[in-house]
Amino acid sequence: MNRLIKAIRALLPNCKQAIRLQSDALDRPLSTSQWLGLRLHLAFCKWCVRYGEHIKFLQIAAQCHEHDHRQEQAMPPEARERIKRALKSRKD
Amino acid sequence: MKRTEDDSNLPRAAAKTPRDLSDPEQWVDLYGNFLFKYALTRLRDPNKAEDAVQETFLAAIKGGKSFRGRSEEKYWLVGILKNKIYDDFRRRNRETSFTDLEFYSDEESDRFVTDGSGAGSWIHKLGPEVWPNYGESLDNERFWKTYHDCAGRLPEKVATVFNLREVDGLETKEICALLNISENNLWVMLHRGRMALRRCLETNWFGKL
Repeated sequence: MNRLIKAIRALLPNCKQAIRLQSDALDRPLSTSQWLGLRLHLAFCKWCVRYGEHIKFLQIAAQCHEHDHRQEQAMPPEARERIKRALKSRKD
Repeated sequence: MKRTEDDSNLPRAAAKTPRDLSDPEQWVDLYGNFLFKYALTRLRDPNKAEDAVQETFLAAIKGGKSFRGRSEEKYWLVGILKNKIYDDFRRRNRETSFTDLEFYSDEESDRFVTDGSGAGSWIHKLGPEVWPNYGESLDNERFWKTYHDCAGRLPEKVATVFNLREVDGLETKEICALLNISENNLWVMLHRGRMALRRCLETNWFGKL
């Protein structure tokens, strides 16, 4: 019985490992044992479940941030003028 | 947006109807800010960003493109800009490594139990908090100010890989080929970047709601 418990323990990631696995899962497929271990851990750990939700939210936020016009940074006027001049001379 | 004042050296044949964008200078007015912001996010240097934007417009002119102010044109220009930026990454990584394994290397170890049977578990009071209605934050301008500040705190290489993965959607293989880094180093940087960004948002926004 002890051996079985030890084997299950070896399969189960701790929180540090679980959050790394959740991050990796966004970038690569997990192995079957990694995936199983993670799902088991998440069944019992609300903190790691929250962590997973949060980093998935970051993906959405990162994309929205890119497209959000309110974050638009104006090109400095000098830069704008330099580019216009460069385009003009290229046209001529 | 302000139009340029000086029209005197434009050929008379270029008739000025409201949507006639045959003058490349108008493209700069119309698309310049958007392209600049895109380049600045990735290159972090305003001079490099300006160069990249200029080269983008020049490449567009060379391609004989005529513009009508349609929204697809913006994304076509971004496509050119993106490739120029990727070329810049490829060139750069030959001299300097794109790996940063120092940032956030402790991975918040002070928030985890260190010994005993519970080693590696969150210390309950220090673990991730509930973020109430986090989706709604996306509509809040002050959230975006906070997000912008937090994202800005990521060091250059970590920010770059984060953007390539989460915004540009490049796969692991593509990023590693582009930046000449190993898969594991990429995943470590992404993990630490996400950890740091999550922590920053929790401390400065969600934890204060």
